[in-house]
Amino acid sequence: MEHIIEIKNLKKYFGEVKAVDDISFSVNEGELFAFLGLNGAGKSTTINILVGVLTKDSGECYINGLSIDNIEKILPTIGIVFQSSVLDKKLSVYDNLKYRAMLYNITKNEFEDNLKFFTERLELNNILKKPLEKLSGGQKRKVDIVRALIHKPKILILDEPTTGLDPRTRKLVWNFISELIKNENLTVLLTTHYMEEATIADNVVIIDSGKIVAEGSPNVLKNRYASDYLRAYKYDKEILNILSDLKLPYKKSKNCLEIIFKNTESAKDFLVKNNKYFNDLEIVKGSMDDVFLAVTGKELKENI
Amino acid sequence: MSSKSQFKKLTYLTMRNVKIYFKDRMTFFVSLITPIILLVLFVFFLQTTYEDSIFSIIQGFDVDQKFIDSFTGGWLFSSILSTSCITVAFCSGMMVIDKINKNNIDFIVSPVKKSILQLSYVIANVFSTLIIAFILLVIGLIYLAFIGFYLSFLDLLLIIFTIVITSLFGTILANIIWIFTKTQGVVSGICTLVSALYGFICGAYMPISTMGSGMQTFTAFLPGTYATILFRQGFLNGVLNEMSKTLPNEMINGIAEGFDVRMLFFGNNVSTLALILVITISTFVLLGIFLLISKLKFRNNN
Ligand SMILES: Nc1ncnc2c1ncn2[C@@H]1O[C@H](COP(=O)(O)OP(=O)(O)O)[C@@H](O)[C@H]1O
Ligand SMILES: [Mg+2]
Repeated sequence: MEHIIEIKNLKKYFGEVKAVDDISFSVNEGELFAFLGLNGAGKSTTINILVGVLTKDSGECYINGLSIDNIEKILPTIGIVFQSSVLDKKLSVYDNLKYRAMLYNITKNEFEDNLKFFTERLELNNILKKPLEKLSGGQKRKVDIVRALIHKPKILILDEPTTGLDPRTRKLVWNFISELIKNENLTVLLTTHYMEEATIADNVVIIDSGKIVAEGSPNVLKNRYASDYLRAYKYDKEILNILSDLKLPYKKSKNCLEIIFKNTESAKDFLVKNNKYFNDLEIVKGSMDDVFLAVTGKELKENI
Repeated sequence: MSSKSQFKKLTYLTMRNVKIYFKDRMTFFVSLITPIILLVLFVFFLQTTYEDSIFSIIQGFDVDQKFIDSFTGGWLFSSILSTSCITVAFCSGMMVIDKINKNNIDFIVSPVKKSILQLSYVIANVFSTLIIAFILLVIGLIYLAFIGFYLSFLDLLLIIFTIVITSLFGTILANIIWIFTKTQGVVSGICTLVSALYGFICGAYMPISTMGSGMQTFTAFLPGTYATILFRQGFLNGVLNEMSKTLPNEMINGIAEGFDVRMLFFGNNVSTLALILVITISTFVLLGIFLLISKLKFRNNN
């Protein structure tokens, strides 16, 4: 299958800083692809190279089968939300969107139709006349997203789009984008440091200090990198001796004992053999947080 | 891509750039500093200074106060226009400001040629300058209509032509400088400097003829000076004609020379046509330089 975005051996250094250090990945058409990493990992740099804002040092990037060296041919088919807004603060929402939409080959009527559709769905139709600087952070972000979608692109690139949004708005935005992926076959490339966003993605690439440290679907990643836990709330103390004999790692706190397993299979085996020592327990699969910790050795902070 | 769609993109980009300038109150205000200062000084003492020097030329001859008022009023507005066409041109450019605010990034990721984007900045720069100049012209004409209006249709045409050519001249000059400018400080610095100084150099406050001979020679080599003289002629020829019905010729000549309505280039009177040619040719030379530099710069960037 043809990949809609293909990146091969991409490199970008800023002096000593290896912002992007030989990364390769590809995105399938119609999928939600998450690019996960801490601040400074190299996410924005990669995105900015992809859309022609930054030049690459070496490597190849293809969008729709076209090299980004011919970026003019690619630009009409992509929409991008930058990490920080690049719209005109003094102009109204309507003017901002109109002056940009008319740079694509769409008519004024098509623009009005698209505008109506997107602003209604993202609950922006009451603020079209307001200057951007008078909007709340969430409203501004939604306008950025409408800007990226106004010409109905095939690919939507989002650089940390939901940072600073309240949970309700985040949900609204995600429901809408998911719908576009399903109904319009939109491809979405997203950078994020939010676990929940990486978890709903079809595929994830984890980047750390400019290098890819893991990639795959969230499920594959969890199975490969994250441990499973057996949490026991009521248990026979005898089990602690067994754990020591088996050299199984565990954590003991006041009200629960947490035994760590490489995978679900070994947890199941252990439980079958030692069933009688436990009265109340649960087996918990590892989360993307654990995956992230395992591959980068760093904690992912949910709230910034 | 068709030239029609290129033109559409150019139009919308230009509209956006013009609108941003008029919405940014701070730059808008800075670019109007000179006209505002001129107006205030005029009300408080320049008008009397001008009147005194007219009286000292016509010594004892009787002139209707209406003529004097119309002359000083016309002088004020020719000063305002000759400075504003330059200062607004220097302060209404969005090219560098966009680059500094990183607002141009959104256009880099839109399907717009870089040359169309650059052109839109220059055209918007000219339009913003023209819009302000024409508003100031209308205010001036209304003021003159109240105190004494002696402009002929031809005078008006000359003023309009001079507004257009001076705005073009100022804009192209400013944009040549912007090509080499990367920081906010330099942009607002140049804008403020030009706003504050250009009025003195072009003789907006005190006539060039009252300056020292070194300064006079210096200004004779600035194309902007020729535009100033054209504005003076457009605003003042009519009222001088009226005055010549009651005043001897030498006095009219004295006033005309004393107030920069005529220009002497090393002792020789420069004709209106010559003035027009100097400023027009200078503008085209600057345009050539601008295109050449942008082309070289553009090639280096690719
Ligand atoms: N224009 C630049 N000049 C110098 N260093 C930069 C520049 N842009 C980014 N960097 C550095 O490159 C690294 C990656 O940055 P970035 O791509 O913005 O990371 P992320 O988007 O993942 O937070 C960081 O160390 C950052 O400081
Ligand atoms: Mg970033």
